[in-house]
Amino acid sequence: MSEQLPAPDFDAQNYARPNQNYICGHACDGNACRLGPDQKGNCRATAECKPVLKLKEGETKGRWVCTRTGGECEFGPLPDGSCCKPIPKCSPVPTLRLWRGRITLAVVAASCGVLLVILGNPPWRNNFISPGVVSDPHSGAAFAALASTNHLNQSCGACHVAGNSGPNPMIHAALRADPGVFDLKKLALAKAEEPTAIDSSCLKCHSGRNVHQPNAPQISCSFCHAEHQGKVIAATTDASCSFCHGDVAKMAVVPRYNNPPPPVIHHFADDHPQFKFITEKLRDPDSLKFNHALHLTGTTIPKLPGGEKLDCVFCHQPDATGALMKPVAFEKNCRVCHSLQFDPETPQLQLPHGNVDFVSAYLRSLPKQYLDLAMKLGSADANDFAAKKLAGLRMQFGDGEALEQRVFFSTATFGPEAQIGTLSGATRSLFPGCAYCHEVKTSAAGAAQITKPVQVERWLAQAKFNHAKHLNVACATCHDAVHSKDTADILLPARETCAVCHSPRGGVADTCAECHTYHKPLLAR
Amino acid sequence: MNRFRRQLFFGLFALLAATAGALWLNAKYNALPNYAYLTGWALLAGMFVLTIYNVRKKLPFLPLGKSETWLQIHIYLGFFTTLLFLIHLNFRAPHGWFEITLAWLFVLVSGSGIVGLFFSRVLPRRLATRGGEVIFEKIPALRHALKTEAETLSLGTDTKSVVIAEFYTKRLASFFTDPKNFWKHIVESRRAVNALLAELEDLRRFANDTEKEKIEKLTALVRQKDGLDYHRALQLALRLWLFVHIPLTYGLMIFTALHIVLVFGFSGGAR
Repeated sequence: MSEQLPAPDFDAQNYARPNQNYICGHACDGNACRLGPDQKGNCRATAECKPVLKLKEGETKGRWVCTRTGGECEFGPLPDGSCCKPIPKCSPVPTLRLWRGRITLAVVAASCGVLLVILGNPPWRNNFISPGVVSDPHSGAAFAALASTNHLNQSCGACHVAGNSGPNPMIHAALRADPGVFDLKKLALAKAEEPTAIDSSCLKCHSGRNVHQPNAPQISCSFCHAEHQGKVIAATTDASCSFCHGDVAKMAVVPRYNNPPPPVIHHFADDHPQFKFITEKLRDPDSLKFNHALHLTGTTIPKLPGGEKLDCVFCHQPDATGALMKPVAFEKNCRVCHSLQFDPETPQLQLPHGNVDFVSAYLRSLPKQYLDLAMKLGSADANDFAAKKLAGLRMQFGDGEALEQRVFFSTATFGPEAQIGTLSGATRSLFPGCAYCHEVKTSAAGAAQITKPVQVERWLAQAKFNHAKHLNVACATCHDAVHSKDTADILLPARETCAVCHSPRGGVADTCAECHTYHKPLLAR
Repeated sequence: MNRFRRQLFFGLFALLAATAGALWLNAKYNALPNYAYLTGWALLAGMFVLTIYNVRKKLPFLPLGKSETWLQIHIYLGFFTTLLFLIHLNFRAPHGWFEITLAWLFVLVSGSGIVGLFFSRVLPRRLATRGGEVIFEKIPALRHALKTEAETLSLGTDTKSVVIAEFYTKRLASFFTDPKNFWKHIVESRRAVNALLAELEDLRRFANDTEKEKIEKLTALVRQKDGLDYHRALQLALRLWLFVHIPLTYGLMIFTALHIVLVFGFSGGAR
């Protein structure tokens, strides 16, 4: 090893010793001693020289001699052999390096102290180490009650092995963790679908992990649900869904009972499949005959009683939640235009709606109906009033059987058969017969049978939809009703229509969870 | 390859490596269920290498490579580790007292490191531009010498100028006794010393020839003291950032150790 020599201009008399803990207290005056303080900060200055005892031949006591560098001093050593010129001691000054070391030690001590104090105090500890607010379902009185019922710890310990424990058990829990602290291989090779230790905590209250499709792998709860993220458990992200649905290999092995594998989906606007009602050309099974185009754009459609034009909102009203629409009802939405007046000259009498037997019974009780009407109108001769009305009907339709057939089966809106209900000014529309709107069949006994209309509540049953969130969009944007003449038309938008807004370009959320729910309903599990 | 090119090369390489690593990790987010654990261990390894640089400086006798090389590695690894820290957090703000404290410690250590890097690149050039070469540890002695000289000049027995003596007592005594204008020197402001020099210039109007000569000497001493204060301020700044960087590094390592215990003790393998 080569010895490093000082530079030629190195002033050994004035060496500042910056890498040592203390410097001479006289350094600030420019009079630092050559020796300098020791490592503990003690001044090592003694005197200007260290006298030497010289003994001449034959002497026993000898004589102290000054050894000062630069020549002997004027007075020489004292009789006891000490120098007569002691150097005044200084108070060594800590260097910046020592201060830095002291501050470092203080920070380390403070860190350890604060952590030990906090970890040793359970209420402080739980608040301090919690990585965020626990969601409402997993905190509060309701959770404590449930945990108590299940004989679980009512706080952190309900889910965490090391919950409600001090520093020592925490370290033990960490060392016993699976995967272990240093088990990097297992951490790197772990698969998302593998259950984790924390899942067993979920299963203390939640029944099983078979919450998705029956052929889907069971994945760890924590893969989708991140706790300690706020009062509401964070919504599942697209990344979680794409873990399976965006993976060709995973989707290819999903058994689908002779059907092709499910499509791979990354983003709604890009590769979400078209809605099934379009691809499979589904038709609305409702037997009611309704022409949306006629009702919305027809020139013969009269104004509503208030003078307004008939529009979508008159028939389609939101339910209490605002999410879906109430079913259209005859009494509320149709009768205002479509009266069931069968006698043109007696608008007060109208057929009942909703039950074939009631209609038949009503028609067969017409003499009684006319008599009651006469009484109600205060006619002087009620029997004569009823007899005339019945005679008029007989003139028009023949017998009661024919009238009943006409009421149930006629669909004519023109010609003599269309006379039922026609009375200019008295009624507002024709009543051609039940079959005009309904599917009317004949039973084996010859009686009329009306197929009950079916209004499908949800077409896209696996998706959520909320009309209330779409109030700023006109109905016609999504529902092409003005071009629909057939009841069988399903007036729902195609995927592309939704993606106009629900896409990165449209700026409206397009996550999977926006429409879909991962967990199947409890009853279906 | 000169120093600048070598630093540029390493800098670009570190940046590219960090970006590629970040992109790879981000792409693997779904494929690696234990993304947070793995990035955490990588982050800890980076922090460990960064921390032992201080240990290496204390062991100069061991053949562990040149300190300059260690410093370069420390700087580039520091930037990479900061990026890794953001990846570990998944670019989201931490929650909870402990994690927030831990994150702030990391931010303070990284931030003080960046400030230190900035100082070590900028302040030596400013010192060289200002001129003079002063050893930091000798500044108190030099200041004392200047003070003694100024005192002798202003208050010495051969002085018969009451004006200069009074001016020294009121305005210059404290200036020569202690270091002055630390922050003004850091921000390169000469307003304070210029004001003092202007007062000395004003004093010349009431002085005779002998006094003017003394005032000129005093002006030169004020300039020297200001230069000394400038060196002290900048050299102190070059050392003071370490008072934040090093102590907080050890605090960070203690909190990190607890973080590991909490993660493995509480998470139960949760992703």
